[in-house]
Amino acid sequence: MYNFKSGLAQIDTVTAGFEAGTNFLVLAPPMSFAEELAYFFTKPLPGEYAVILSTNDRASEVIDAFKIMGVDKRYVGTIDAITKSSTPGIVDTNRLMFVASPTDLTGIGIKFSKMVELIFDGEFSDGEAGLFPPPVRFCVNSVSTLLMYRKLEVLYQFMHVLTSKLKKIDGVGFYLLNKESFDDKTISLIKQLMNGVIEVKIEQNTHYMRIQGMKGVSSEWLKFSIQKGQLVIGP
Amino acid sequence: MISSGIIGIDEMLGGGIPNGSWVLYSMEPGVDGQLFMISTLFSALKKGLSCLVVLPHTTFDVFKHDAAVKRGCSLEIFKKKVVYLDAADRERIQKSSKKPKEMQKKWEARIEKICNEHAVDVVFFYIDLLYDDLGLQGALSVANSAKTTSKTTVLVEHLNLEGRHSIDRFMRNYSFDLIISISSAFRSQPHFDYFTLLHTSWWPVPKRSVPFITTEGKVVPYIPKIVVTGPAHSGKSTFVTNASDFGVSIDRRDMKGDPTTVAMDFGWLHWKDFDITLYGTPGQARFDPVVPNLLNHAMGAVLLIDATKPQALERALHHVQLIREKRLPMVVAANKADLAGAMTDDEIRRYLKLPKDVPVFFISATRKTDVRFVLESLVDFISKAKY
Repeated sequence: MYNFKSGLAQIDTVTAGFEAGTNFLVLAPPMSFAEELAYFFTKPLPGEYAVILSTNDRASEVIDAFKIMGVDKRYVGTIDAITKSSTPGIVDTNRLMFVASPTDLTGIGIKFSKMVELIFDGEFSDGEAGLFPPPVRFCVNSVSTLLMYRKLEVLYQFMHVLTSKLKKIDGVGFYLLNKESFDDKTISLIKQLMNGVIEVKIEQNTHYMRIQGMKGVSSEWLKFSIQKGQLVIGP
Repeated sequence: MISSGIIGIDEMLGGGIPNGSWVLYSMEPGVDGQLFMISTLFSALKKGLSCLVVLPHTTFDVFKHDAAVKRGCSLEIFKKKVVYLDAADRERIQKSSKKPKEMQKKWEARIEKICNEHAVDVVFFYIDLLYDDLGLQGALSVANSAKTTSKTTVLVEHLNLEGRHSIDRFMRNYSFDLIISISSAFRSQPHFDYFTLLHTSWWPVPKRSVPFITTEGKVVPYIPKIVVTGPAHSGKSTFVTNASDFGVSIDRRDMKGDPTTVAMDFGWLHWKDFDITLYGTPGQARFDPVVPNLLNHAMGAVLLIDATKPQALERALHHVQLIREKRLPMVVAANKADLAGAMTDDEIRRYLKLPKDVPVFFISATRKTDVRFVLESLVDFISKAKY
């Protein structure tokens, strides 16, 4: 079974990384570097691929964020739910796909399947094949936006499908949710679909994170910062 | 009748969708099935019908660009008789209504007005966001309000997040005339999509799933395997070669110096919107252990016999039994029927113990028209037979 290195010693030394077929909720208040944190965990290592569903940023901004982390953009695919509404004629490529709006769950589902299919068919990275079966990291930025547009019940069912598909392809998923914008019922429902939670809090201008649900990994709060796309723990 | 825009499906439906029908395209998440509704829309527009498209999830501008890209054509078609209600209309209705019931009434009033003003023939309704806003009952009631005349056809596209349960509810509680579910076998590899005709009110189509591919802006129903089998020297290789747009035969010379198939024949053809792959089995008895494996996962079989060789019918009977064991739709092609001494329909049926519904065609495998006619009948049989 493949393990996705997290880049975080606290995880990788104990468990060898995120297990294939697992999904994590990144639960954080606004302006807490949660997006950067989720992108850091989604960053593909050599031989891996990343797919990002962006409901907040344009594809170009997502690619820039991964470039800052030193990632080869040929291994990053973006499903952009923003750009199409202002540029209706924009056309999909293998690594950049566009859906009408964050309400368009039909389109999101199709583009996700297409991108995964291209990765498995070896048609994603201009002939530069990675590992096989391809390890895929997936990030949804953000579930909060999807929840603003769609009913909780509908989104829960959709997320159930999405997380199951990721499990089937032995990928790993990170799903951003703003914990201050939704009630406990909503958060606990979404948590049911996850294998673990990466929680973020801010106290006196200091950012903390903790990881729950990974066997053997401490769920202590850790001070962290993101510097040039890299996760720095402590001091 | 309105064409679904997919000839293969029209064939299965007995010519198309009757005017005034209430149609559901139910898509599983992730399956690229949007081309079904778009194909029907393009077909209606080409026919000069007046169309209303209701798409609360997006703008018409985005929709028409997407549809044109999917179909691989220009935006020209949207200059025809098409009106729409889109995300901007949804926003206006939401802003001016406080309760779902009010919203529902406003949607219904707008749709009725447009349908009457533009004498709309066909309505294409993307239901998902209205399902969120009004619930399933409310959303379907809005869609139904478009049936301003008995001839108005309403097609609904729906994202099925609940699986079989949701389909059962649609079949039980709402009187759709046609329900097609579009699904995907989502596995890492291989990955394939298929559609299932679940219900038709006007035509006795048994429940049937057919794989499909989308290529060059079209949905192409795909029959991945038809097996052509029968005794040696009955003309199987000739049949496969003449049926195919492209094919290969793996032959060796036998003791008499005649070519005989030692592995199998392959052929591919595109016919009536179906993509079909043909497998011809070897006929020699020593290859018999191979034949059941070749019949595995086939969707139909052609039993080819030499009409002038009654002595080969015993071998043919063995092939009939193999096909029956796999419960495959079958047709019999009696080759060399133009030669003297050819057996009669009765003789063949009696010896092979064929049921009445298995057709026997008298052909010459060297004539392409004969061969294609046999395949046409088999595809028809496959798409309508009960397994």
